[in-house]
Amino acid sequence: MTDLPLYNSIKQQLRACRSKEETFKALVALSKRLTRLTAEEKTEENRVKGCESAVWLIIDNKDDTSSIKADSDTKLMRGVLVAILSLVQGKTKTERQKMDLKAELESLNLGSYLTQSRANGILAIIEKIKK
Amino acid sequence: MAFDPHSLRQDFPILSQQAYDHPLVYLDNAATTQKPLSVLDAIQDYYRSFNANVHRGAHYLSDKATTRFEQARDTVADFINAPEQSHIIWSKGTTEAINMVAYGLEHLLEKGDEILITSLEHHANLVPWQQLAFRTGARLRVLPLTSEGEWEDEYASYFTDRTRIFAATQVSNAIGVHTPLQAMLTQAKQHNAFTLVDGAQAVAHYPIDVQALDCDFYVFSGHKMYGPTGIGVLYGKAHALEVLIPYQTGGEMVQHVTYQSTQFNTLPYRLEAGTPHIEGAIGLAAACKFLTQQDRHALLAWEQSLAHHVYTRLHKESQVAIYSPETHTTLVSLSVPNIHTLDLNAYLDSQGIAVRAGSHCAHPLMAQLGVAGTLRASFACYNTLEEADRFCDVLLEAIDLLTDE
Repeated sequence: MTDLPLYNSIKQQLRACRSKEETFKALVALSKRLTRLTAEEKTEENRVKGCESAVWLIIDNKDDTSSIKADSDTKLMRGVLVAILSLVQGKTKTERQKMDLKAELESLNLGSYLTQSRANGILAIIEKIKK
Repeated sequence: MAFDPHSLRQDFPILSQQAYDHPLVYLDNAATTQKPLSVLDAIQDYYRSFNANVHRGAHYLSDKATTRFEQARDTVADFINAPEQSHIIWSKGTTEAINMVAYGLEHLLEKGDEILITSLEHHANLVPWQQLAFRTGARLRVLPLTSEGEWEDEYASYFTDRTRIFAATQVSNAIGVHTPLQAMLTQAKQHNAFTLVDGAQAVAHYPIDVQALDCDFYVFSGHKMYGPTGIGVLYGKAHALEVLIPYQTGGEMVQHVTYQSTQFNTLPYRLEAGTPHIEGAIGLAAACKFLTQQDRHALLAWEQSLAHHVYTRLHKESQVAIYSPETHTTLVSLSVPNIHTLDLNAYLDSQGIAVRAGSHCAHPLMAQLGVAGTLRASFACYNTLEEADRFCDVLLEAIDLLTDE
């Protein structure tokens, strides 16, 4: 997980996109930075309900920092997950709960990649990250 | 390819717009078609000129609305060659029409009876029958049609003396193949089963003759044939409609009501509880007129030529798997191994191209094909060859962008 880009550089990159096509390409590029889950980790229990694409999320809560792993069957969602993970990685549960993840993600200028049918999925991911 | 869709497009102003700074290319017609001006005008004319509740007579506007509403029923009856207008029951759409039949026939089913459907059904022509089977103890059976839609002699054994209902789609929404309808209906009739044909994917493309088909029920939606949403049709033969128990009751469908009992109205009103979708019926009639004014064979040939063009171009690409037939279809359903259809769809959308990605409300069929979902480009009469080519070009771009090195 050490190879995740810095959240601020992701934010800068996504906010600089001027069209849906540019955002698409940026998310595809980001998706390549995700460490994929193994087949064994993609259990029904780890699956986030409510996403159009399949999303798995594993949170290992420790005293100081928590490790969060995630994966999806679509590249675009993997790109979004890289942004989310870089935002919350290394934070404690209490710190995560204090963050306004929804507002932060909305500031990334992802437009319809966050809204429409994927919106519920993103909210479900945020819910799970705060637990 | 003598047909020219460009003049026809002037009837569809919605198509002349940009989507994310690209010309909109609308290839999601199997989900819903766009509406011509004549349909929009008919709906607006109803509200501007003669909006009133129907069947209550009593005043000038109501008479006008009732006349036009019942003329709409005549138009739809003519459109599918129904013998009489009383055989046309309005519904919300295909799904509601199938539910009307599934609930309406429940009283005739016994434990051990069989309901037969095919493996190419939309969930709308599957779940209502499955639930009916649960309620009655009947058995849901599935005729395992292949994705080529050919009749096989061994299918005959699926029709038994316990087959009470046979329900099949005319054309698959997911892969565009025609089912062997006549052969199946012949079998069903030999065993005295009620027959229902789901025409949702057929009506926009093929002239329909319910008397030639000789099915008990034929159902379709307005919005997939250039008409408005929220209106559909249940056609039935007289004896078949007569045995249906009304699945909704209330106003308009009664002749006389006391606290002890209710005498139901005659057909078609008996099956139409409540104030109907008046502007929907009027809009649907306008859509029927729009289609009958066209050279329908030329339209169909054009739509099929577009699908065939896409098939021919993409068939050459080794990474594309196509699930639709090469000819005689108006859509192309495909997938690309190792690339998610939602990712393909997102890139097409970013270029202004509207298609559909997913399971197309046909989970069992997707399982049969061995895919999680497909990408479906479906054509209507207003689509152009340039649009078909643009879809292919952008799809190939998407594949390049999404292929891992």
